[in-house]
Amino acid sequence: MSRSSATVFASLAVIAALVNAIYILPEWEQAVVTQFGRPVGSPIVKSGPHLKVPFIQRVRRFDKRILNWDGYPNQIPTKDKKYIMVDTTARWRITDPLLFLQTVQTEAGARMRLDGILDAATRDVISSRNLVEAVRNSNKILDELKARAGKEVAPGGEEEEIVGEIEAVTVGRESLSGMIIARGKAGLKEFGIELIDVQLRHISYEASVEAKVYERMISERQRIAQKIRSVGLGERSKIQGKIGKDLQKIDSEAYRRAQEIEGEADARAIAIYARAMNSDPSFYEFVRTLEAYKKIPPGSRMILSTDSRFLELMRRR
Amino acid sequence: MAESWDESKKRHPDWLRTLAAKFHAGPGFERRFLLLFTCAAGALALATSVYTVEPSEEAVVLRLGRYVSTEPPGLHMRLPFGVDRVTKVKTKVILQEEFGFRSSGEDGTRTTYGNDDLKSESLTLTGDLNVANVEWIVQYQISDPKKYLFNAREVLKNLRDISQSVLRRVVGDRIVSQVLTTGRVEIAEEAQRLTQEVLDRYDIGVRIVTVKLQDVNPPESVRPAFNEVNAAKQEQEKVINQAEREYNTVIPEAMGKAEQTIRNAQGYATAAVNRAEGDAARFRVVLKAYQASSRVTRSRLYLETMEALYGRMEALTIIDKGASGVLPVYMQGKDAAPAGDNK
Repeated sequence: MSRSSATVFASLAVIAALVNAIYILPEWEQAVVTQFGRPVGSPIVKSGPHLKVPFIQRVRRFDKRILNWDGYPNQIPTKDKKYIMVDTTARWRITDPLLFLQTVQTEAGARMRLDGILDAATRDVISSRNLVEAVRNSNKILDELKARAGKEVAPGGEEEEIVGEIEAVTVGRESLSGMIIARGKAGLKEFGIELIDVQLRHISYEASVEAKVYERMISERQRIAQKIRSVGLGERSKIQGKIGKDLQKIDSEAYRRAQEIEGEADARAIAIYARAMNSDPSFYEFVRTLEAYKKIPPGSRMILSTDSRFLELMRRR
Repeated sequence: MAESWDESKKRHPDWLRTLAAKFHAGPGFERRFLLLFTCAAGALALATSVYTVEPSEEAVVLRLGRYVSTEPPGLHMRLPFGVDRVTKVKTKVILQEEFGFRSSGEDGTRTTYGNDDLKSESLTLTGDLNVANVEWIVQYQISDPKKYLFNAREVLKNLRDISQSVLRRVVGDRIVSQVLTTGRVEIAEEAQRLTQEVLDRYDIGVRIVTVKLQDVNPPESVRPAFNEVNAAKQEQEKVINQAEREYNTVIPEAMGKAEQTIRNAQGYATAAVNRAEGDAARFRVVLKAYQASSRVTRSRLYLETMEALYGRMEALTIIDKGASGVLPVYMQGKDAAPAGDNK
């Protein structure tokens, strides 16, 4: 080997060592440096260029960002024996890369642990409660129902009623995920994993149950439709009854009013007559009788007694 | 093989030879070569150190892996040879995610694919344990490119997962009829608010612009039953309207008639009083005159009346006071009239 080639070789080796000694951590990564498999120092989380002992030390990189976990949809029976498919997702993060490296080594390994722990947690939490707890978050529906029951509903306004009873929820969807998170968190801590969140992404009826649910929905709707129609007919009867009632009321009130008016007038007339006539009752009688005589229709026949005053002079012979 | 090799040798010997000649031409050439090399390297450095950011973007600059700055649109410099790395993020663009359906094609017309994946994406349990097909869109914007890039690995997937979870939660708190009809806006608003809350908790630099419900339907096989309910509602309204119409025709008329009755009574009252007043006035006047010479007037009035009366009679029978037992043979029907005077 010539001298010059030895120099070239040496300089190449130095360059290689330098290149190997520098490693760059981007913003989204953290790393553990190991020396022959043994971790050296604390994990490196600061981004930017870093130095290590070339060739001897190895850098193991881990993601620093929020990572996803996608659960496989599980068929879980609820406490009220309803078979549902529960699809969960979770977000997690490697918080202790060293522990992570020691216990699960890679993300794939971590996912396996997540699968095990979260599936079990989901199963435990869901199956120990009724279906509604996983569907509803609060008793909002019930509250609204109660509020509505208090008020008198305008006719025709309440047509779409809830059929069947609404079970009250004691826990609710949010809290269920909270419980799953709590259980998961405890289990995952020893792997250097922080569980950020578990979401119940999708809850659906199991395929075989679905058909039955649809049947129930159909019959429910039909019941509602029937009720709506009946309410309509009932309303019609009410209105017709109201017509009768109002008619009677209007008629009778008018009659009453008319009678009152006429009666008052009659009374006044009587008073007026009386006042006038009282000044000379005998004259009134006389004049009024004569008036009445005048009204005897013409062409009548009449029989007079001889002691009629009219014939007085005749009698006097 | 050998032949082609020879051929290529034959074809290229000229420039090979000239190059070799140039190499041996001396220091003049070497200097030129060095100059050329430096120029090329300089040009390359310059080219890689200039970059543009489009109006809809912002650029996040990493220097040796470390965040340095976020640059606005325009022309910018960076350190060449991979020292500065630039990631452009479309922060001004409003992006859209679709759930339960996918827009297809460039023209944006919508087609809904019936594949199982999408069906399961839209099927949602309502609070009364019914099922509804809910399709919705989420429009969002990257509000913080730094967080967007560095805080989560799959931002879009997170967004989709959260949106689904939140929407189901919101729908789960409502009954199916509310979901299908009146609750749409409220659901969208609540979903938007809650989704944003969760995203803020993850701190991944995404802002939800809007959540909008698209088609919300009952499942295919249940749809006729839902339509029946709608039909029943129409029917109900129709029946009620008819009854109202009847009411509106009958009652106003009756009220008019009642008014008429009352007016008639008032008319009667006025007439009766007026008549009484008139009669009374007349009586008083007559009485006054009568009292002036009562005897004469009385007789005159009596006689005149009788005269007129008897004059109008068809027959006048006079019976002696002593005669009794006379059959009232003349008295027939309407002709009957009381006889005699009153005094």
